Amino acid sequence: MSTEVREHKPAVMHLFWWFMFSQGGVIAAQFLPVHILIQGILGPLNIVPVVDRHYDTWIRILGNPIVKLYLLVLIAVPFFHFAHRLRYLLVDFGVPAAKSTPAQVIFYGAAVVVTLVTIWVLLTTAPISFG
Amino acid sequence: MASTAAPHTYRWSMPATWWTRNRHYFLYVVREFTAVPLAIWLLWFLVEIKRAGDGPAKYSPHGSTPFVIFSVVCLGFALYHSVTFLSLSGLIIRVKVLDKQVPARMITFAMFGIWALASLVIAAVLIGFAR
Repeated sequence: MSTEVREHKPAVMHLFWWFMFSQGGVIAAQFLPVHILIQGILGPLNIVPVVDRHYDTWIRILGNPIVKLYLLVLIAVPFFHFAHRLRYLLVDFGVPAAKSTPAQVIFYGAAVVVTLVTIWVLLTTAPISFG
Repeated sequence: MASTAAPHTYRWSMPATWWTRNRHYFLYVVREFTAVPLAIWLLWFLVEIKRAGDGPAKYSPHGSTPFVIFSVVCLGFALYHSVTFLSLSGLIIRVKVLDKQVPARMITFAMFGIWALASLVIAAVLIGFAR
């Protein structure tokens, strides 16, 4: 009679995607509404002056490395949250294939692509400047 | 005598309109759907950053009426995401101080406080660095 000892490995990838899902949700919840309110509504309606309404102020703040890092987190991380939510919304609407590995590659791969594009945009749009 | 016919697989399915039959189901789907408008708005925001790289002569920030209307719709979804997501924080986050569990209500209150503070700081930067 053999005694089989089952090895329990930590589900590192599972942990990673859940971490990205929760952090994306927190970042979207904490930071996104004020950007939409000011840069999407109040600025275009000229109710308040906003930094992105003029080229010189916008390009200057985009050059700040802390702002670049903040924008990377603000834009890229919520997409991991969105990917998870939309995948399970499809499951709820009767598309069980959304649970499959190819679907995971498509949804989370899209979030990775957005992350890479955001890095590229932030590094090529405005030169890094501390001024 | 037992039948030799292969057993039929039970295929469970939900009616396509399940989410319209109950207010809570509907609000759940709306909460999950918030990912779509927020993702589109963030992609627009990324385009706005990229456009700054075109130089001062070509740069003109988005400000059309359809864009403002879209932002108003997105703000509604963003606020709904924030309220529903942060309301759950007391159930998810477990913090112990001096071996005592911090009450869930206090954690939720703190998360809403951080949201208010973060919004004020971001608004101050977006408006304060404008001209």
